[in-house]
Order: sequence, then C-alpha cells, then structure tokens
Amino acid sequence: MRFAASLDSTDLDKVSSAFKSFYPREELLKGVQFHLNIPQGIDATPPDHHTISQIGYRRSSPDLTHILLLLPPMLVISQLAPYPGWNEFFGRFRRDWAVWKKSVGYRKIVRTGVRYINRIDIPSSDHVLYEEQFLNVYPHIPEVLGPMTQYAVQAQLPMLDIGCNLTLNSSVVLSPLLGHRSFVIDQDIAKDNPPQSDEDIYNLLNVIRIRKNRVFEACITDRARELFEPWQA
Amino acid sequence: MAGLIIPSGPTVFSPTALPRLEQAFSAGTNEIARLVAALQNQPSPASLRSEPRLAPDEQPLETRLFDALAAAKILTAQVAMHLDGEWRTKLFAQLDSLHDAEEWEAGDEPIDPLSFQTFLKAFLAIKPARRPGLGLSYTGNLIAAWTTGRDRLTIEFLPNDRVHWVLAVYPDEGEPDRFAGQVDVSRLVQGLAPHNPEHWFLDASDNQPAR
Repeated sequence: MRFAASLDSTDLDKVSSAFKSFYPREELLKGVQFHLNIPQGIDATPPDHHTISQIGYRRSSPDLTHILLLLPPMLVISQLAPYPGWNEFFGRFRRDWAVWKKSVGYRKIVRTGVRYINRIDIPSSDHVLYEEQFLNVYPHIPEVLGPMTQYAVQAQLPMLDIGCNLTLNSSVVLSPLLGHRSFVIDQDIAKDNPPQSDEDIYNLLNVIRIRKNRVFEACITDRARELFEPWQA
Repeated sequence: MAGLIIPSGPTVFSPTALPRLEQAFSAGTNEIARLVAALQNQPSPASLRSEPRLAPDEQPLETRLFDALAAAKILTAQVAMHLDGEWRTKLFAQLDSLHDAEEWEAGDEPIDPLSFQTFLKAFLAIKPARRPGLGLSYTGNLIAAWTTGRDRLTIEFLPNDRVHWVLAVYPDEGEPDRFAGQVDVSRLVQGLAPHNPEHWFLDASDNQPAR
C-alpha cells in the first residue's frame, strides 16, 4: 500500500516497535546520498561527500518467510515460500493493517496492489527446451534465428472491470535446481486511487486474488501444471 | 518453435554487463534504451535488504551470524516448494544450532551462502531419506556426514557448485577402505554411485551394504 503522505521517522519507529511481537527480527533500511559539485573545466577527482540516512525498517519472522517492509510512503507485507495459502496470508494482512492503523492513524491510500512472483522449474536434460510447451507468455522469435539463451518480456494490461492495471513479466531466471530450467511469471495487479475503508480494501484484495489465479492459469500450459508436485520425504 | 538453449554451466543474465554506449548515442536513442531497461523485472519491495556498511570482519558477531543465517533461509525459501516442510524446519534448527553465538569459536566463519547453494542443489538431486549430521568448516563451508555402523560418508559443499566427499567403509576384517573425490555438484550422484550411497542415504530398513 502506498500513501499520499510519508511517515516521519518518529512514526516509523513507533510502528516498527508495534510489530515487534509478530516480526521479531528488525533490520534498518538505509539510503545513501552523494553530493558532487564539480566546477566546469576542473579535471580532478571529486570529493566523496555522502550522507547515510535511515529510510525504513524491514522486519521478519525467525524463519524469514514473513516479511514486513515499513517505508515512509509504503507498507509491504510479503510471504516467501513455503506458501501457506491465501486465507492465512489474508489474515496476516488484516492483522498487520490493524496494527499499522492503530499505531499511526489513518493515511490516505493512493495505491493498493498485490504482486505474485511464481517460478516454474522445468526438469530438462535436452540441449534445447521449448518454452511454449510450458508457458503461454513468451517472445515470438523467427525460427531462422534459432534458439535463445535468455529472454524477458513485459506487458501492461488494463483490467477495466475491476479498475486495476496488470503488469505481467515473463522471463528466464537462473534455476536453483540441478538439471532444470526456470521461468518466472511475475504479476503486479494494482489499483490507483483505491478504496479507503477496511471492508472495501479487503474486497479489493479478494477480487485481485481471484483475478491473479485466472491470469496465472492463462499463462501456463497443462504440461507446466503437472510439475507442481512437492517432494515428500 | 525457437526454443531455449540449456547451458552446460551456470550463466548470468545481466543486461548491465553490456557495453555502456550512452556517449555514442543521441538523447532520443538513450531514452529508448532507458524505456527498454525499465521493462526488466524490478526487484520485489520485500527483497530490499540493508546492505552492511562495514566489512564482514568488522561487524559484530551477532550481525554476521544473523546475516549468514538469513541468507541461508532465504535461499531455502527459493526451493521450499520442492522440500518437505518437516525437513525444512529441522534443517533450520540445525543451522540455528550451528550459529549459536554463545558457543561460537573466534576466528570461525559463518555459513557461506555459496556453499549453502551447493548443498541445496545436492540435496534436491539426492533426496536422501536419512538426515545427515551437519557441521561447518572453519571457512564456512557446510559439511554433511552420514554414519551407518562404522561406515561414514562426509561431503563438504564448496562454493560455486563444487563438492568434496570422503567415505570410509569397514570390511569384516582389516583396515577400512577409504575413497575420496571432488566433483561438480551435478556429477555427485555419479561420483558416489560405485560406492552404493544408499547404504547411507536410505532408512535402516531399506539399507544395503556399502561396496
């Protein structure tokens, strides 16, 4: 969530403390500013004057799967894998939103969005892998140019019926698994000038969640779906 | 169908590694290049991390241990969908125990994320039913050890996808047979195959004698 007015450092400290029991680990996020003043015609190494200032907090659970980002204009709640499902994540959002508001009061929200980053790991021992067998979003390359080594594409689409915009990324990423090739389907669904009341915010998030599922299903093939099997030890 | 080439080794896609040619282009062309660069995936806000201002050996011990553990846990999250939940929980408990600040030896290094990456790749390839004991080398490499009877298999996970393994197998009589190897992690399974690794990796009920 992005807000019209930024929190000052006192409010940031206060709201970070309020989350201590839910996210015991705290890291300071710092910004670095460099000021360079080089007169024209002077051929000299500029002096390095920089200031480091705190810009926010990153709080996390002990296993670092629950992450909370507190920045002056922004509140970000994130879940890393393993994913416990929407209900649990949504419950965490409701809890954290209540804590945030209780701590710093109402602030006008100017953007509400949800980003889903899904990596699809495809086992392959072949020299060439055909992305269209797994994905429905990829670049169209003339056959004569031969296989690619990397790609990244982005599309931005309006979702007029829910008043949101979708930014959709599809790309190849380095796989953390041996003998695999990995793709990312990255969705950012957001609404500018979003609703302000709690119930309307919750409704919007649930609508986005349903739409996200549809987008993801549309972006992958049945062959990709077959890959989503966890290892049972 | 154009397809994607599967590289034989690790590759890094870094558009910023392309030659910097701004000075050779017009302002209009540079603007187009900027717009194209903006299409790259931006990092998720949640992936923002505080960068240490001090060199690692100048940081407080607790900070170094926290950063190393955090890096390992975030790397685990990247493959958590391939892991059993209980296995992951126990792995984290082992890592926490290895990085207990109260028992930390001065001069030792916390876990090297590159070593841990190699470990995860190896484990997801082997998927051993038996959990190993874990340790750290003084340089921060993760070491896994399995013991069956007196027979022992030890694997050190090195940075950059290398693994070093040593095994000792005790025959019915005489001195133990010892074998060792150092291979790319993608060839670990083949490297261990002549020595019947199931002897260590399978549960006791499924166990086979080592060769």
